[in-house]
Amino acid sequence: MAETRGGRPVSASQRPTGGDKAVMSQKKQYFRRKKVCRFCVEKVDHIDYKDVRMLSSFTSERGKITPRRLSGVCTPHQKRLAEAIKQARSIALLPFAQEI
Amino acid sequence: MRIYEDLFIVRPDASDEEIDQLIGQLKQLITDAGGTIDKEEKWGKRRLAYRVEKRDDGFYVLLQFSSGPEVVKELERRMRVSDLVLKYLTVRMDLKLQRLAKKKKRREKRAQRKPMAAAAAPQQPAVEQIMAEAAAEEKE
Repeated sequence: MAETRGGRPVSASQRPTGGDKAVMSQKKQYFRRKKVCRFCVEKVDHIDYKDVRMLSSFTSERGKITPRRLSGVCTPHQKRLAEAIKQARSIALLPFAQEI
Repeated sequence: MRIYEDLFIVRPDASDEEIDQLIGQLKQLITDAGGTIDKEEKWGKRRLAYRVEKRDDGFYVLLQFSSGPEVVKELERRMRVSDLVLKYLTVRMDLKLQRLAKKKKRREKRAQRKPMAAAAAPQQPAVEQIMAEAAAEEKE
């Protein structure tokens, strides 16, 4: 039974990059896919504040910035992404807050 | 000399002549102070993400230029005073471009060491290309 307890429940906030292991037990079987940073995969160095379509894919319906625990973006890229989103907001390309 | 990028929003009800005149004035200001205009782009009328001075859309203009820092001060003062300009944003680009070049260099170096991996790695588009694509998207 010791093995079944191997997949200890870990809250998402403690593991910002997402779970990297398949967590298996005999009763429940679930698999947490490892999230990878989109910018690292595509080798994007410069996140441009003018690219509204790309930036808006990292904001919620309300216009909030998606936390990296959800989007899987790595720390250095999230920092640049957040900066770009804030610049876009200041020039009215993206909303600060949106009514839904 | 530093490279700057200036994006500003002109009032939507301004006539084409007024917009051209404003852009001309700003360009004159930069060139008079010894700077150079690298790029000028009119994005045209776009919907704003939120209301600015009771207006829902605006005419976006992008200027890329290289000049000293004191030019930016005067440029921003002019735009703040001007009734035509709703909003402006000035971004310093040279440090970003430097960082980009450095990264690119490092990547090439690494690719040389591993020629096999280089073939698989996708090409990084140039900044100009990214900007051109963004502009093309806006026009759609």
